[in-house]
Amino acid sequence: MNSPSTEAARTTASARISLRQSADPRFVLADRVEQMYSQMPLAILATLVISAVAAYELREGRYVEVVVFWGVLVLFLTVVRTVLYWGYRRAREKVKEAEQWMRWLAISALAAGATWGFAGAVFFPSHADEQQVFLAFLLTIVVAGGIPIYAVSWVIYAIYAAGILFPFTYVLATFGNKLFAEIALIVPAFYVLNVGIAYRLNRVFNSGYRLRHAYGKLTEDYTALNQRLEQQLVELEEARRQVEASGRKLALFAERSPIAVLELDPGSRIQQVNPAAENLFGYPPAELIGRPASHLILPKYQDEFAKQWRELIQTRAPMSALRLRNPRRDGIEIVCEWTVTPLVNAAGEIVAVIAQGRDITQQLEAERMKKEFTSTLSHELRTPLTSIIGALQLINSGVLGNIDKDVLELTTIAERNGQRLLDLINDILDVEKIESGKLTLFLETLDLAELVAESLTLNRSFADRFKVGLATVGERQPVRVSADRKRLLQVMTNLISNAAKFSPEGSIVEVSMESCDHGIRVGVHDHGPGIPENFRNRIFGRFAQADMSHTRQKGGTGLGLAICKRLLEMMGGKIGYSDREGGGTTFWFELPKQA
Amino acid sequence: MPARPLGRICYVEDDEDIQRIVRLSLERVGKMVVEVVGDPTAAIDRMIAFKPDLVMLDWMMPGMDGPALYRKMLATPEVKALPVVFITAKASPKELEELRKLGAAGTISKPFSPKDLPEQLRAIWGALP
Repeated sequence: MNSPSTEAARTTASARISLRQSADPRFVLADRVEQMYSQMPLAILATLVISAVAAYELREGRYVEVVVFWGVLVLFLTVVRTVLYWGYRRAREKVKEAEQWMRWLAISALAAGATWGFAGAVFFPSHADEQQVFLAFLLTIVVAGGIPIYAVSWVIYAIYAAGILFPFTYVLATFGNKLFAEIALIVPAFYVLNVGIAYRLNRVFNSGYRLRHAYGKLTEDYTALNQRLEQQLVELEEARRQVEASGRKLALFAERSPIAVLELDPGSRIQQVNPAAENLFGYPPAELIGRPASHLILPKYQDEFAKQWRELIQTRAPMSALRLRNPRRDGIEIVCEWTVTPLVNAAGEIVAVIAQGRDITQQLEAERMKKEFTSTLSHELRTPLTSIIGALQLINSGVLGNIDKDVLELTTIAERNGQRLLDLINDILDVEKIESGKLTLFLETLDLAELVAESLTLNRSFADRFKVGLATVGERQPVRVSADRKRLLQVMTNLISNAAKFSPEGSIVEVSMESCDHGIRVGVHDHGPGIPENFRNRIFGRFAQADMSHTRQKGGTGLGLAICKRLLEMMGGKIGYSDREGGGTTFWFELPKQA
Repeated sequence: MPARPLGRICYVEDDEDIQRIVRLSLERVGKMVVEVVGDPTAAIDRMIAFKPDLVMLDWMMPGMDGPALYRKMLATPEVKALPVVFITAKASPKELEELRKLGAAGTISKPFSPKDLPEQLRAIWGALP
């Protein structure tokens, strides 16, 4: 890991590098060229003025023609430089062509220098002492004056100064005067010193320009960054508004929810409660907030709660349908069903635990009453029915002696309807058992063919009543299935009695058995009117009868098929029906074969 | 299967109507001798006196229910060997299984058919060792 100081040093270094890199060298060069050209008018003017003074002072002497020639040369050079300056000013691609302009400038500087060098070389030997001193001063001035003009490029300055000083040095050295020869030794040193100064100035200029460009680029970057930041700020503000809005919505949900909502910290301390929680427990928020959740748990269940809480914190898995006995402030005990959800942040820490609970005390009471009612229905109704049906059966069976025909008819009706009442009670109890998951099957391996035969025997008298015959069709081989004997007989009885009830008098209900993909299929075929279209989708539903008048005409509760479906599913089978060709319906069920 | 045919039945039942129907059924249809006991607390004494072949116990009775009476019978040497059939209107499969384990000979659910009751009892009798 890096120490903070190393990190800081690295940052500064990289900033410096990027500063240098961020200054585009093309722009720096263009700036330097611009700087030199911008000084050109001054340089041209200075050259003209100094040249004029020089020409005036040097006009007397033997070589007037040479002075005139020099003057013309200066004027020509002035025109050329002016044209160059004018050309640069008009140029459009100053940055792209910077190098080219720099080259032209170097040539013009060399020409300017050489013009002065010519003056030094030609006029120095030909004039008197006084004018020689004047000329030496003049050359010194133009060499020194070139520094500010050309310092942006030390190379150009070196060319310019060389153009002036080399011919002059040569003249001094070859004059034949000892003093001049000594001066000739000093002049190169003066040249080197001036070029050195120009070189240093050049560097200062360069870094200045680089800095300017880097700063410009930084400013640009900064502006872009600023704009981005501004944009982000706007987006952030929008996001904040949205979060605030959804927060308000969420708070409203909790506040108006009929479900008690508690926010707990990982230590199970209550952080917040909603009004439903206040109502449920009868505590004002001040008495709940900051207290452990165990405050809302009966003392004898607190150990278990602590265990569940530890598990929740460990696994972070939400819990639902958690039933707890909670004491209210007034001491009344209620049973609540809780959904507990830990809120985990990005770092994987639990920030809060949300508990949502609802009072199920009344629901449990209702369930208990329903159970009690079922139990009562079962016992208290069956007991008198045992007496009623039993008594009538004894009379109708004739064991008590002969009975008048009309009386027998009535007692038979009474017995049949007693039986119907019993069937209804049994069906309701079955449905109740199935729905509460309390129906237990006693599965055994049995021969389905034998069971089918038995069911036919058991239902023959019922079918007789509707003047309907029962028959098996096809060959019957023993087939072993795993089923609850009593319940499967109940299914068969249901299907056969339905078929008999809805078959026309004199017809035959056929029972078939055949192998199918899922095992063995038993079919009960009738010649009835078929199943009405609008009844087909609810035929296996509860209290389903195509026509309620059938209930009175033919008996039945409308629960039979719903029970059959569930019973078969519990035995691993299924039930269905299909239309028969030529009228009538086939009800079938399938059971897996036993090896 | 016991050597002798089923002839003597002791029936413990608090409901007088059912008592009467069962008596008629067993006497008229089944041609059996029946001793009906209404008070379960007095049942064991009556059994000892009557010496039935088989005992029928109603499941739910005030004072002492069928299973409790059966447990009491099992603790009484004179009657502990008697085959017992329970008549019940409601019993969970678990409870029935428990009674079978204790040694009950069979169960007949209410409402039963008086016409068929003697046959049902004879079938249970026939299945006894």
